[in-house]
Amino acid sequence: MTWDSFFYFAAAAVLLWTFGAIAAWKGRERGTFVCTVAGLAVFAAYIIGMWVTLQRPPLRTMGETRLWYSLFLPLAGLIVYGRWRYRWILSFSTMLSTVFVCVNLFKPEIHTKTLMPALQSPWFAPHVIVYMFAYALLGAATLMAVYYLFRLPDKRAMASVDNLVGVGLAFMTFGMLFGALWAKEAWGHYWTWDPKETWAAITWFTYLAYIHYRLVPTHRPRRALALLLLAFVLLQMCWWGINYLPAAQGGAHSY
Amino acid sequence: MAEGACIGLAVVLAGVTVQAALGPVVWERLAWPVNVVALAIFVAAVLLGRALSGRVYLLRFLTTAGAAVPALAYAIVLTIVMGLTRQRPDGHWFSQMLTFWPFVLTYTYIALLLGLLTLKRLTHLSSWRRDVPFLLNHAGLLIAMVAATLGSGDMQRLRMEVFSGTPERRAMTEEQSVVRLPMTIELQRFILETYDDGSPRRYASEIIVQRDGEAPLHLTTDVNRPAEAYGWKIYQYGYDARFVASDRQTSVLELVRDPWLPAVYTGIYMMLAGAVLLLFGLQSKASERL
Repeated sequence: MTWDSFFYFAAAAVLLWTFGAIAAWKGRERGTFVCTVAGLAVFAAYIIGMWVTLQRPPLRTMGETRLWYSLFLPLAGLIVYGRWRYRWILSFSTMLSTVFVCVNLFKPEIHTKTLMPALQSPWFAPHVIVYMFAYALLGAATLMAVYYLFRLPDKRAMASVDNLVGVGLAFMTFGMLFGALWAKEAWGHYWTWDPKETWAAITWFTYLAYIHYRLVPTHRPRRALALLLLAFVLLQMCWWGINYLPAAQGGAHSY
Repeated sequence: MAEGACIGLAVVLAGVTVQAALGPVVWERLAWPVNVVALAIFVAAVLLGRALSGRVYLLRFLTTAGAAVPALAYAIVLTIVMGLTRQRPDGHWFSQMLTFWPFVLTYTYIALLLGLLTLKRLTHLSSWRRDVPFLLNHAGLLIAMVAATLGSGDMQRLRMEVFSGTPERRAMTEEQSVVRLPMTIELQRFILETYDDGSPRRYASEIIVQRDGEAPLHLTTDVNRPAEAYGWKIYQYGYDARFVASDRQTSVLELVRDPWLPAVYTGIYMMLAGAVLLLFGLQSKASERL
């Protein structure tokens, strides 16, 4: 499997996810699940094929992490749909996933076989995969926040946003602490305030602030949703924004 | 929340004052035994705060979400400033955030809140399904933060260049001063494997570690797989490509000793367990609702 065949797999997956999203709008639950799961299977097959061909997990470059994000977004959407039956969530997650697929189609980065010794660790795959899954869940939470920012958020909607953020934050905690345990083995210290770590801490604290703000008796739900938007902007900074930040060049995380 | 914002601002302003009066935080001074004294003072302050909380409204307020949110907000803003500013050892204020008093005091304030909250919860247990994840998350973060900060003064990171055929005893600190170790390290063999394009696939050192009067230890240190000997973790740090093929091989190692690591790991494992339980808790909450 090479990067050349990405278009065919991606097109098939996006098509299936679109059918799933349409089925969700029309209230056809079985069709929704069958199509979305089929799309996930096609996309996952491509990632596994890449993994086998590259002889290493495809997690090293930004393009490779975007692959996982494109996979996990519809998965997070499907989990939300499965639990709360929001008709619109799969349309949003499919749209966002398609954006990331397109970025990978139009700006594919070099994907060589080499994996430098620093990345050859059993921590590598869990650290990045767990983070990508957290980002996808928090992306879904952000979509809900945008949606309800312009409507009156009811209790049920806020509760499902809280749950998404809670699960996302739990996975983010795994990602961060797996990273700390790995850093001790690879770099000699579990936390060095390298730019990526600094921004990971900022993002983590901001989602913590959301959860705690929701516990303040006098809080306003709309402000809480606005805080989620800010948190997602900071998350983007942590994920790829720092690559363009002059102050953050040359950190231990640049590969 | 307004009270919390005021207290947080007071903490930041106190930090600015101390910074202006005393200059930046000198972390080296926090080495043993000063860090243990600092820990004792911190624990005493938390215990006293808990004991007085019945009488002092402020202390009760500190354990509410209304105190936590502004405290987090100040930490977030200061950490964003750190993330946007290039950090360098010769910098001032923002460009050396880890020694900037407002930053350090804000995180200390968060630790204080966590301490008060942990004690309050411990003395008001209601249901283990909610208390256990709560305590693991909050106390875990507290333990990891406090142990990592207080332990930083006791951590030793040394760099050592080892040679084949010559046992080496000297190592360099980050400040470039020479330290003599109670053991010697000799390079037995340096291993370098490359990909087809010449980039390294693996580099590792087979070393002999010998402490005075003891049997030599034959160890291998790989990138991502440090060796361990006599309380030190020995990392493969780098190599000099010029000497790889020569008779006289060299290798650069990093030696790290961190006596507070078990405490930090205790906190980290508590947080990991707390995050797992958080997932289950959310699940059961959701199924109750549906």
